[in-house]
This record gives sequence, structure tokens and C-alpha cells, in this order.
Amino acid sequence: MSNSNTLAVGRSQAMVREARHLLFTVTPGAAWIVLFLVLPSVYLMAVAFMTNGPYGLPQMPLSLESFKQLAGFGFLGWSPGNIYTLLRSLWQTFLATALVVIVAYPIAYYISTCRDKWRPLMLLAVVVPSWTNQVIRAFGWMNLLAPGTPLSGFAEMLGMIPPNMGLYPSNFAVTLGLAYNFLPFMVLPLYAAFEKLDTAQVEAAQDLYASPIKAFWHAVFPQTLPGLLAGVVLVAIPAFGMYVIPELLGGGKGLMLGNLVATQFSGGSNWPLGAAGAILMLIATFIGLFAMRRIGKRLGGGEEVVI
Amino acid sequence: MNKRAMRRGLTGFWWLTVVFLYLPLAVVVLFSFNASNSAARITGFSLRWYHQLLGNEQIMSAFSNTLILAVISSLIALVIGCMIGYGMYRHRHRKLGWLIILIYLPIVLPDIVFGISEMAFFVQFHRLTGMLQPGLTTMIIAHVTFQIPFVALIIYSRFVGLDPSLFEAAKDLYASPVKRVVHFMLPTIKPALISAFFLSFTLSVDDFVISFFTSGPESATLPIYIWGAIKKGISPEINAIATLMISAVALAAVFSLMFNRRRA
Repeated sequence: MSNSNTLAVGRSQAMVREARHLLFTVTPGAAWIVLFLVLPSVYLMAVAFMTNGPYGLPQMPLSLESFKQLAGFGFLGWSPGNIYTLLRSLWQTFLATALVVIVAYPIAYYISTCRDKWRPLMLLAVVVPSWTNQVIRAFGWMNLLAPGTPLSGFAEMLGMIPPNMGLYPSNFAVTLGLAYNFLPFMVLPLYAAFEKLDTAQVEAAQDLYASPIKAFWHAVFPQTLPGLLAGVVLVAIPAFGMYVIPELLGGGKGLMLGNLVATQFSGGSNWPLGAAGAILMLIATFIGLFAMRRIGKRLGGGEEVVI
Repeated sequence: MNKRAMRRGLTGFWWLTVVFLYLPLAVVVLFSFNASNSAARITGFSLRWYHQLLGNEQIMSAFSNTLILAVISSLIALVIGCMIGYGMYRHRHRKLGWLIILIYLPIVLPDIVFGISEMAFFVQFHRLTGMLQPGLTTMIIAHVTFQIPFVALIIYSRFVGLDPSLFEAAKDLYASPVKRVVHFMLPTIKPALISAFFLSFTLSVDDFVISFFTSGPESATLPIYIWGAIKKGISPEINAIATLMISAVALAAVFSLMFNRRRA
């Protein structure tokens, strides 16, 4: 009787100790993130429902004014500018992601077929440029695509752009900049998928007289799908919220949602409108994440999709 | 035959991609040694832009701000992230879904939303309390926030990779938890600590958007300075600063290669 009692006391003491341990180790970090990220985000959401004050700071009467402005209703009636910006963000994200997939797929495959000792070096070669600050990389593209450079001259010669315009600033420069920026994020997960590719399946397909395309589609592609989906998540979501590249490479006609949001907090001074834009961005992000998860599960990628 | 042609095509595509990846960086490095201030034509070799850097006080203060920010934020994130990583490991049998969501939040949140929420929060907080004026302190807070998850995940995965019986053995060997931490835990996770520190450091130096929105007038970092210079009109000095930052990255790449070789 007393024995089981002390056991119970001991166990509950151990449980208390474990709980205290959990509290001690996890609280600082959790509190930090709650205080400095969750709280500010909640505040931002609240700002979206306030009215814009004279100095761009939010004021109290709650309203849906900012969402109306976001949809394009202003003093001068309705204008499609913001809708265009949203559509442009989606389109640029799609283009850049597609471009990155087209380049990364053969590259990842190629690396996985090279000799063991070269592979780390090749992966490093792909990743190193992304260690440089993104402002510097965008600046490099500005130098390359400016009017008068060989690349712009070449494009002029082909009649792709009017004379003396240069390839930057333009929507094309933004697409290129985005693809450049996010290429490593697609190569790495695809490489991981190719590295553990089960070649027996490919051989089986070949033995059964599958055409190369069929062999690829049924034996290779499904195996790389988890890597591909992980890559799409890693590329498309940050690309959609990109600020630096459209701002530097896009000019006035190439802006994306991130720029619309940022302007309201720096030059434009309309916090509620910016906050409403941020909410729109978050909604799109979570829809994207959710959709990727669903696709991953349906196509059998299942558990391996990272997010 | 067909296979060989495909192989050759792939090799060609690989080198083309390498050129694509390094061309923008190479252009910046090349023009940093340009004698004239033209951004389109090379007229000769000179180091004048580097000389001008040394005399530019704004750049020097931006440089020291970048370093201070990166070192301090990485150290704070290392301590906090390490604790959370260990807590996640030790209590991994419990339901910690809320903690996982909390840890993924800074990673998933778009940079721009992250940056402006912090900015809006700090500005209002300062208006109400007079504390936390936008500057280095607010930048450090923001950087620590996005570094914690990466540190926590690296440390966590290191612990998961360890043999659980090691913890029992350590318990038997060392009576006090402090001794256990000093003699067993810290030495075993040392490689993870080092890589977590360097990752945090790189993330901090690499960040522009979040720094930009949480900085004050006195606390510009190098990326913020470069951004301003680009916006004002391209100045050849930018090439020189950018080249120095690219060299730092190249050096880091060589180190990481050597580190990997030694481990292999």
C-alpha cells in the first residue's frame, strides 16, 4: 500500500520534473516568437480593419475601407491597377517556377549521374551564388541587362526589344531574376529525389519495350515527384511574395504584390491598405501550401513532401 | 550513340547553367576594377573604387553594423534555438503540434509580411512606451526571430541522430545536469552548433527585406546601403562593396568544401 503510494508520488514528481524541463527549454524560444512575430502579425491583421489616419498611421473606427481600396475602389472610382498587380504576381510566380523546373530537372539528373567525388562540388557550385545577398545579385542583372550591354544588343538585333531600351527594366527581367534567385531551391530537392532513384524500375520499363517517354513518365517521374513538389513549395511561395527583384528589375510596370504592400509602409503611407495586401498575400500563400499538400497526397508523394 | 549524344547535351547544359549562375556576379567583380565610372564599358584596370570605400564613413559604419548584427543575433539565436531544439527532442513523445507550428511560422511567412509586421509593431510600441526605437536593437530582435527555427531544427536533427542510450550513459556518469550539459551534450552536438551558428550568420548577412523594414536611420547595414545607392543611381562604388561581399562568400564556400572533405 505505502509502497505503491511512494511509487505514485515518485512518478508524479518525475512528471512534474519533465513538465518543468519542457517549460524551461521551450519557453524562451516560444515566447520570443509569440512576442516578436505572432503578436506583430495579429496587430497587422487588426490594422487592415482600421481607417487610414492623416499620417498614414491607422486610426480607430473599424472599417472595410482598406479592402475596398485593395479591390481598386478609390476617390476616382474603380481602377484595375491592384487587380493587375495581383494577376502579375501570380503569372510571374508561375512563369518563374516553370522556368526553374525546366532548368533544374536535367541539372539535378545530371549531377546525380556524375561521379561520387564530384557531386558535392557540383551542388556547392549551384548553391554558392545564392549565399550572396539578393540585392547584389539583382544588381548584377541590372548591369547585364541595361541598355547598351551585349545581351541587350543581342535582343535588339533579334528585334525582341525596341532600340536603346535595354532588357531592363521589364517584366522579362523580373522573370529572369526570380528564376535565377530560386534555381538552387529546386535543384537540391530534385537531386535528393534522383539520388535515391530506383533504377530497377527504369530497366523493367525498358525491358518491357516502353518508349523512353513512357519509361520516364511511369518509372522516373513518380519517383521524383516528392522532390519536385518540395521544390515548387520552396520556389513558388517566396517568389510570390518577392519584393527586391521586382523593385529593382521591374520598373513601374513590373511591380508585384510585395511592392504594393511595401509602398504603403514606406512612401505611400497607407498602413491599412498595406495590411490588407499582406492578408491577401498570406491567404494566397496558405492556399498554395494546402494545394501542394493535396496534390502530393493524391499523386502518392504522401509523407515525403516536406511541408 | 544516342545515349552518348544525350550525355554530351547534358554536360553542355550543365556548363551553360554554371555560366548563367555566375555571370551576374562576374560582371559585378569585373566592373569593380574598371578605371572609368561607365557601367557599360571597361576602360582599364584600377583600384580607385576600393580606395574610395575606405574613405567613406557611411560604408564603414554599414560594414560594422552588418557584422555586429550578424554576430549578436546569431549568438542569441544559438542559445535560444539550442534550448528549444533539445526540448523538442526530449519531449518528442508528447503532442507538440503547437510548437512545430510556432517554429515553422517564421520560415513560412513571406519576408515582406514578416518585415512590415515587425515594423508596424515596433513603431507603435515605441510610440506607446518610448522603448525599442527602430535601430540595431529592433533589427537584432527581428533577426533572432527568423534564426531561431533554423537553429532549433539543426540541433533537433542532431539529437535525433544520436543513440538514445548515450543519454542514459551520461546520466549514470555525471550526477549533476550541469556537468551532463558541459561534458556530454555540448561536445556531442558541437558540429551542429558550429553549422547552426554559421547558418544563422549567413542568414543575417543575406537578409535585406526584414532588416530594411526594422532598421532606423543610424543602423543601415551593407545591403541597405547598397540598396540606397542603387536607388539613387548606380555608383561604381557599389561594385567594389559587392565584390568584397562576394569574396567573403567564395571564402565561405572554400571553407565548407574543406570541412566536408575532412569529414568524408
